[in-house]
Amino acid sequence: MNHPTDFSRRQFALIAGTVAAARIPAPGAAGPTAQDLVKRIQGILGGDWPDSGPDGFKAGNPETAVRGVATTAMATMEVLKLASKDGLNLVITHEPTFFGRQDGPAAALNAGGHGPAGVSASDPVYTAKKEFIDKNGLVVFRLRDHWQARKENDLTTGLAESLGWTRYRVSGDDAIYDIPASTLEETVAWIREKLKLRGGLRAVGDRRSRVRRVMLHPGLMAVNTMLDRFSGTDLIVAGEVREWECVHYAADINTSGERRSLVTIGRVVSEDPGMRSCANWLKPLAREVPVRWITVGDPYWRAV
Amino acid sequence: MTAREVVDLIRKNVGVPWNEQTYRDTFKTGNPDSTVKGIATTMMTTFDMIRRAHEAGLNLIVTHEDTFWNDRDDTRDLTGNTLYKLKTKYCLDNGMIVWRFHDHLHARKPDMTIAASLRSVGVEGGEDATMRSDHVYTIPPTTLGAFASQVKKLTGSRAFRVVGDPNVRISRILLGPGYAFPRMTMDADVVIGGEAQETDGVFDDTEYVMDAATLGIAKGQIILGHVVSEEPGMEDCAKWLRTFITGVPIQFVPAGEPFWT
Repeated sequence: MNHPTDFSRRQFALIAGTVAAARIPAPGAAGPTAQDLVKRIQGILGGDWPDSGPDGFKAGNPETAVRGVATTAMATMEVLKLASKDGLNLVITHEPTFFGRQDGPAAALNAGGHGPAGVSASDPVYTAKKEFIDKNGLVVFRLRDHWQARKENDLTTGLAESLGWTRYRVSGDDAIYDIPASTLEETVAWIREKLKLRGGLRAVGDRRSRVRRVMLHPGLMAVNTMLDRFSGTDLIVAGEVREWECVHYAADINTSGERRSLVTIGRVVSEDPGMRSCANWLKPLAREVPVRWITVGDPYWRAV
Repeated sequence: MTAREVVDLIRKNVGVPWNEQTYRDTFKTGNPDSTVKGIATTMMTTFDMIRRAHEAGLNLIVTHEDTFWNDRDDTRDLTGNTLYKLKTKYCLDNGMIVWRFHDHLHARKPDMTIAASLRSVGVEGGEDATMRSDHVYTIPPTTLGAFASQVKKLTGSRAFRVVGDPNVRISRILLGPGYAFPRMTMDADVVIGGEAQETDGVFDDTEYVMDAATLGIAKGQIILGHVVSEEPGMEDCAKWLRTFITGVPIQFVPAGEPFWT
């Protein structure tokens, strides 16, 4: 899906300006390196890119010539295999590749082989994944903080697009959508179908309650966001929350007699559409090579 | 007997030194010097649970988790919140007292939340389980799918989630209570816990198990839900309280799994 409307005019002007400055070659020119492409991205997004931050190269050689770019919410083994098969050797991921914020093996390991953070350097899943990346010449770059810091939050508008709700956006707020009124049960069925959810969807609220105003919150939602905004909505659709915070609050508000609902869809599922927007955003920056989004899908299933 | 006297009895019988600095195991609402008519144990002090405890004539709630939607039960930002006002007014009007029993419950040997959670999913041998023991329990070899079906049948949970290939053979189980989700090790096939941040944490079991499935390495993750994970422990807690508190009824009042799917 490639919608030109994914660009705000502001971004377009920025890109157009920086394209000239960065001398992005025409299609068909010799491929840029991963480092070249990342520099273009950093030039547009701006800000500081400290080594201590989450954003940066996580695997592979940045000097590799890029044949194609894949964007994804999380560079799972499955996503890497699909990317490699299609010749997309630069993978831009929103979430970690190596099972945690450290995104690589732990510096110090305890006797059990697992350190306080990160994965053991001799762990079979870690070593197999690393080997696959190296053997196939893949390069993995994490783009999280700088992607979600943009003024136009494509994580949110991308999720709305996947839900078919773009046109219902309430002006001035990319998180609020006035959808055609239906019951919570019907809305949940719609969300499940549109996002191809398996076991990851969980709902709190009265199935028969009426839903019109929906707030979208991809990623992890903190309780303060809920305290501030729940009373202005019929439903919040979040990536993930903490059960003792937001779930508890949603249950209590229903006990008090207010019909408001919370649906969690999983963090990766909630961030996946925003990385499709990222692919569309990247296309004019990487005109020499194909750019594609690879979906992670719902990690969860339910017992039968 | 007052609520304060009940808590003093718990402190005397808990079997571990009391941490006076705990912000968790304290009174959250109500007057500690009120007379106790009955005690309700629960996993989470939801508004609905408080009402059911009151209707059952139980005015002291011993809860494992929070009352005001954050771990510290910090209410400074809540004074203008309508729901906070309703919930505290209900407790005040009905003489309800809430005391949290979390840190010292987990410090006990055994930790009854782990022992009861193991039992609730059909894993034997966990009677002496303690926090952070990394003890791996062995079950008769089965598939992840069949084990998940057993968990569903035994717990009655509607919303618990599973990651991994349902067809892999598993037998080695690592279980943690609530948010203390165990981290997958080379010695375990399946990790079970209440809830965990999905990604970008200290160790992301979900991505690890997804990748193991792609690589053909037998691993599984079962995310029970926080309430489902620790509720059996609070049922055991009611039984334990009865061994040294007499004269008032003591009942387990479930918060109940909050989700539907």
